[in-house]
Formats: sequence, C-alpha cells, structure tokens
Amino acid sequence: MLLPAYDLSFYEFDEENDPKSYGVLLCDVVHGKPPLKPLYIGIGWYWYYHAFRYAPETLCLPTTHGWDSRFINGYPYITTIKTTEAEAKQREPLFRERIKPFIEDFDGIWNQKKTELMRMYKDAKESRGLKAWEDIRKLSNIDLLSFFLDFAFIINRQEAETHMIMMTASSYINGLFQQLWHEIFGTEAPIDPTFNKLMAGFESQDVKVVRRLWQMGRRAVESGLGEVFKIGDNEQVMTTLAKNKEGTKWLNEYREFLLEHGWRCERMHAYDTPAWIEKPSLGIKQIRMLITKDVFPLDAEKDRVMEERKKTEKEVLAKVPEGQRDAFKLLMGGAQKSGYWSEDHTYFCDLYVGAIGRWIMTEYGRRFAEAGCIDHPEDIHFLHPNEIRKAAIPMGKVNLRPYAERRKKAWEESLKTDPPPFYGDITQAQSVLKSDPTLSVSTQIPIVREELKADLYGAAAAPGITEGIARVIMGADKLGEIKPGEILVAPGTSTAWTVAFSIIKGLITDGGGALSHPVIMARENGIPCVAGCLEATAKIKTGQRVRVDGNRGVVYILDK
Amino acid sequence: MSEKYIFWFEELGQDHNDLVGKKCANLGEMAKLGLPVPPGFALSVKAYEDFLERTNALHEIRKYLQRFSGGVESIEQFNEASKEIRQIIESKELPDPMKKTILSYYEDLCERCAVDVAVSTRSAGPASHPGQYETYLNVKGKQDLLEKIIKVWASSFNPRSLAFRSRKGFSLESDPIGVAVLKMVNARAAGVVFTADPNTGDLSKMILEANWGLGESVVSGELVPDTYIVDKETLRICERKLGTKQKYVTFRELGVVEQETPLHKRSAFCLNDEEVAEVGRLAVTLEKHFGVPQDAEWAIDEDFPFPKNVILLQTRAAVIAKKKSPVDQVVDMMLKRL
Repeated sequence: MLLPAYDLSFYEFDEENDPKSYGVLLCDVVHGKPPLKPLYIGIGWYWYYHAFRYAPETLCLPTTHGWDSRFINGYPYITTIKTTEAEAKQREPLFRERIKPFIEDFDGIWNQKKTELMRMYKDAKESRGLKAWEDIRKLSNIDLLSFFLDFAFIINRQEAETHMIMMTASSYINGLFQQLWHEIFGTEAPIDPTFNKLMAGFESQDVKVVRRLWQMGRRAVESGLGEVFKIGDNEQVMTTLAKNKEGTKWLNEYREFLLEHGWRCERMHAYDTPAWIEKPSLGIKQIRMLITKDVFPLDAEKDRVMEERKKTEKEVLAKVPEGQRDAFKLLMGGAQKSGYWSEDHTYFCDLYVGAIGRWIMTEYGRRFAEAGCIDHPEDIHFLHPNEIRKAAIPMGKVNLRPYAERRKKAWEESLKTDPPPFYGDITQAQSVLKSDPTLSVSTQIPIVREELKADLYGAAAAPGITEGIARVIMGADKLGEIKPGEILVAPGTSTAWTVAFSIIKGLITDGGGALSHPVIMARENGIPCVAGCLEATAKIKTGQRVRVDGNRGVVYILDK
Repeated sequence: MSEKYIFWFEELGQDHNDLVGKKCANLGEMAKLGLPVPPGFALSVKAYEDFLERTNALHEIRKYLQRFSGGVESIEQFNEASKEIRQIIESKELPDPMKKTILSYYEDLCERCAVDVAVSTRSAGPASHPGQYETYLNVKGKQDLLEKIIKVWASSFNPRSLAFRSRKGFSLESDPIGVAVLKMVNARAAGVVFTADPNTGDLSKMILEANWGLGESVVSGELVPDTYIVDKETLRICERKLGTKQKYVTFRELGVVEQETPLHKRSAFCLNDEEVAEVGRLAVTLEKHFGVPQDAEWAIDEDFPFPKNVILLQTRAAVIAKKKSPVDQVVDMMLKRL
C-alpha cells in the first residue's frame, strides 16, 4: 500500500516494494523531528532531496547514486541508492578527477561558493527594492509571486546544490580521515582528545555572529543599560529600551545588526518559526544569556586552543609512517577545513535560505488570510507551491481551506506519534550507511551493548563523563529555560542553539552523527556528548539526574 | 676444467652476481645472513659456457643461426629456432668430470638432509629476467637432476628469451646463466611478499600474497590468492582479503601438477597470523640488508614447526610504481575504504 504523504506523491512510501528495493530506510530524526510541515517539505526539503542525488551524481560517488527519501506518518526516512559493481568501476575515474579539487583546496571552493550564494540573496532582495522585513508588504501580487517562484525554483535549488556538493565532499574527506586515524592510532577519532585538539579552534561564521551579540550585550552594560536586560520578558526589554535615548541608540545599532545577520529562523529546516529580523526579541534572549560574561566564552581559551592545535598537528604528523605522511598531511588539512565547513555553512545555506522562505511564506499567509483563502495566516504551512500559485493571482478567488485542513489534521496526528527508527531490514543499515558516509550527518544506528547496562545507547561523540540535571528541550525557542550546568537533552541541535553550548555541562541527542552540528559544537567546547540515542527526548524527563558517558556512548538515568 | 664452478650457497654472497647469477648470489647472501633458505648449491655461469663449448653445442648453434643473419622476423621463426637449438643442447651429455662434480654435490646435499632429497633447479641470470627461463620442481634422483640442469640451460633459448635478446640487440647465440639446485620445500602454502605497496609506492606497508601448495600458482598470477597488507613497523595485519584460490600446485611422483582446490580450502586463509608476521619479519630483514624494497618468494614447510617452517626461496629488488602524488594517494584511500 502507498502511504499518503500530504499529497506529495513522490514521497509516498510503498510498504511492499520500498523495503525490498532499498533494504532499509532510516528515520532522519535530526531534521524531521518534530514533524516538518508540508509547505517546507514541498520546497526546502524538495530541493535538498534533489541535491542528495545531484551531488553524488556530479561527483560520481562510486558506491551510491545518492539518497532517496520517503515520508512515513509525517516523518522523513532516508536511504541510499546503491550502485552496481560495474557502475562503481565506471564511476571511479570520474570521481577521482572531481573530488581532487576539494581535497586540495576545500576552503577556496567554499569561499567562492558562499560568495555566490550571498550575492544571489542580495540580488533577490535589492532587485525588488527590499531591505527590512516589512518591505515585502509593498510588493504587488505579481512581484510577490515572481519572488516566490524565484525562491521556490532558483534560489533554493542553487543553495541546495551548493550545500550538498560541499557536504558530500566534506563527508568523504572527514570520513576517510577518521578511518585512517583509527588505522594508524587505533582509537575512535571522535572521542580521541588528540583528534579533537586537531579539529578545534576554527571560527565559524556562526560563532562570529554570537560574538557580535555578546559585544552588543557588553555595550549595553557600558551604556548603563545592563539592568534593563534583567527584565524577564524579552519583548519588554525592547520596549523599555525604546523609552530612553541611550536605549534607542542601542536598539538602532541592534536593528542594523539584524539587517545583516538576522536572516535566521529558530528552527533551521522550517518556515513556521520566526526569524530574528522578524522578531528582534529572539536575539535579545541570546544576548541575555551572554551579557554576564566578561569575556566571550568561546574566546576565553581561543589562543591556547589554536596553539595546541598547531602543536598537535606536528606531533601527530611525526607519528604517521613516513610513506603515508604527505597524504596524511593533505588529508588532515582537508578534514580540518571540511569539519569547519560543517559549522560555517549553516549561516550561508540553511539559515539564510530558510529565513527568505519564512519571509515570503509569512507574507502569503497574511495576504491569503486577509483575502479569505485560508482562515489563519499559519495555515499557509499546510499548502503546496502550486496551490500558492493557483491562489496568488487573482488574489482571493480560490478557497485553499480544504488542502490546509486535511493536511493539518494529518500533521497533528504525526506530532502525537514517535517515529520508529527504521523500516525494513535493520541488518542492512551498516551497508546502507557505509555506501554514503554523508548519511551519518542525519542518522546512525546505535549499538546496544548490554554489558554496560545503560538506559540509552548512542554514539560516543565527544569525550568525557559528566553527571547533572537533565533539561529536555524540543525547540530553539525554549533555550531560555536552560540553567547553567544542566545537561541538554534534544532531538538534535542547529546553529540557533550555539549559544547554549556556553552554559551546558553535557549533551544527549536523539539523532546526529560525527559531523552533525551538536557533535561538533560539543567537541569544540569540551562538553561530553552522546549522540544518536534515538529516544533520549522520549525517555529522559527534565529534572532527572543523568550520567553522560561520552567515552563509551551511553547514558544512565540515575533517579528513575 | 680446473676452475671451480659449483658452490654451496654458504660460499656465495651478493657480490657473486656475475659468477653464479643473481638468484644464486642472493640465496647465498641470505644463507650467510643466517636467514632460512633451503640448502643447496649453485652452478656458475662458467659451467654453462663450458658445457656449450665442450659438447660442441655452441658451434652447432652458431651454424644454425647463420640463416638468421638478416634478423629474426616472426614469432614462428623464434619458435622454430628455439625448438632447433634446444634440441641441440638437450641432445648433449654432460662431460664426465662435470657430471661427477655435480653428482658429488648432490650426494652431499642428500647427506646433509639425511634423505634422498627432491630438488628444484632454477635459472639464475646475472641480470634479473624474471619469468624468462624455466624452473623445474620436484626433481628426483641423479639422472633426473642432470637432465633438468641441461633443460634449464636450454631454456635460455626459449622463444621469449630469443625475442628479448633480439629486441635488445644482444647476441642470440648464448645468454650464460647460473643454475640453483636447492632442496624442495614440502610447501603447505607459499607465495610472494613485497616490502612496499607496488601500486602506490607506499613504503610503510608490505603486501603478502599466498596460496595453498607451491608458490608457482601465485607467481604465475593466474588466480586470486589470499592477500595480506602488513604494517612494516608493527608487523600487524592491516587488512586481509580472502582469495578465490581456485587452483593450487602440488607434487606428483615426479614434477608438480596444478589441481582444483577443495572448497573448504578455498574458503579458508592459507596462513595463520604468526606465519604472516614471520614472513613479514624476514622480508623487513631483507629490505634492511639490501637497502631497497624487496620482492621475495617464500614457502611454509610442512615438515617443520613454527617458526622454522617459514623458508625464503629467493629475493630481488622490487619493481614499484613511482610514488603517487599525495592527492592521488588520498583518492586511492577513499576508493578503497569508503
């Protein structure tokens, strides 16, 4: 039977044939939990899944044609399309040529590509005379539609293709490096402190942005506005600031900052959470978490970390057998740059394109609701692009309610269910994951080691053992609840969560492999982390004492 | 024939290339180092020359070759010339004094081994021409030995050797070679070891290829042997690949025969880890001693306990690919591992 997927037939799961042809499909809890809404699935996700084939096919990966995806009860499941042996042979020489530039100059390629992306976003805004969030209201219906179509078919496509080409190359370089590390040093790279020293101290764009927030907080304190930030409500902080001259000056500066860096939504792969530029109080919340720090937390040890990295590089190279040293050195550089890319790209890829989407979709929600096509602006998230086009011109003639209503109902059902981690034959999971190391960003299969008698089994993602009070957080909008020294339990984390890493003591996630955001941030900050537990957010309750064993990849709930 | 033209391996060393050929010189060098090589002796290059001269074979060969003064033109001509010349050589008897000396060494060898040993007779040119000349395995008894020595000499006129000499502009009329006569190893398994990765030029790893029975099945390259990649420093096995090993070479009453490998042996590795490490250890010793990567043949002798059962049969400088650029090495690793 074909399982419905919000009327998106290409995502429908064929219960009988799909497990047969793919072996196993694994749930992408990192990006898909809580369940995505249909509008995002039809645009953002649509192009990512195009790009999951575009990148492997363009790079001619020998083992896979790319990923395939199905939605089952509202949750995304992914698997790879394996190549035959004959195809693999044919692809090898092409792969050889195409992967080389990434090994040799990962940074150079990325710098060029991110410049192109930023130019594209800028052109899309400037050519329409748009700058601030409210400006989009001025667009005529036809101009808004053309912006929407550009976004849905051009901007998203370029972002996704760029994103996945880089990600695939990054995964190959990093995956190989970690494997080689294991062969030479006999340790699992992600939990080897030496490996972590090598990967630490590269500053991503996101860290730069968070530092700007911290600086703005300090400026507020210097201007005597520190007290205002103690007000519990973020919106109230803003209105209080607006009441005096110093505060107004500060707010103007903050708005300028948002015009440049506010293109980010609370949830990365969705159009249904506000962007900072749309709701400036979101950034205030982050500033509040940082304002008491005299030094930017991630800077405190920056110089030492960089020194140590350079020292470690030399020590590691000296231990590599001579015959392999040159190759190892090149690969190490590539792995460092591509590991850093995993952090750096979100600003230019996921976040920026997501916020532009949020911008357009919010405006359509407003116009459709006002014109009577839907009941609430928020119902826009249950429509598909072709329905938006259908109703956009002339505005107000098409009733979009039937689409929105039935999909909303289906989505609400999904929200109540917990997705099974896989469909099909789980014994094939390793071979599926192995055929495309890129998959491990989204999912991996925990190995249950009965002898450890743990409550949760995951991947040993960042070393160290710690105990503390658990704080279960399902979305970035709830980050303010975290108290310093708590252990964060989350489905996954994205860049919007970066600020949390300056105060938490440990991290447990449902999804995510060695290159996923939480794992990299945990390692970077020396926070023990167990990733990919699949059901951490379901099993652990806020307030429980837990022990995170980042060396062995297990979690103990101490007061059950 | 006052000149000495037979030597125990122990009397030889790597400086004796010109005297006895490279293979014999290296066997001698290994024996001197105390490395495990089968006991045996070498016939010098001079023995070959004397034989051809004294039996008048050289004269007959020259006469025969006159018809090719304009050069040999076709493969058929090489084949024909080879057949004719080999017949000339093989029709000759060893001169008595020569025969007597060879047999006295053979008897001594049997005495040393406390049995009437089977031997192999292997060609040994002063320059290395691997695979060009003949080797005879499981040679038994005096008559057989003398015949096979002459056959090894005659093999310097096999078609590929003639073609090689013709292509290089060398004289066709002779190509003096030495002959190694060494005790046959009762091989349970055998193969080759390269003290570098011949494809990537990676000098930190050794490659072992192994099959059941005698090493000839591995050397010929006609089947997929078991492969081990061994770290040169730690002698740890980094990777092992089970070969299909469809066939293997084993003894007959006289000589050897290729047979189908029984299924249970195809699915099992033919070496255990300590044997792999011991072959590796010996190979590293060779490389250190000779100063360049080595390509060695070895066998596991069923008649001895470990580690005495690991025997070296020959070694020579390995031909390895020019080292690839780092980026090519990285891509190679990706293709292999991911």
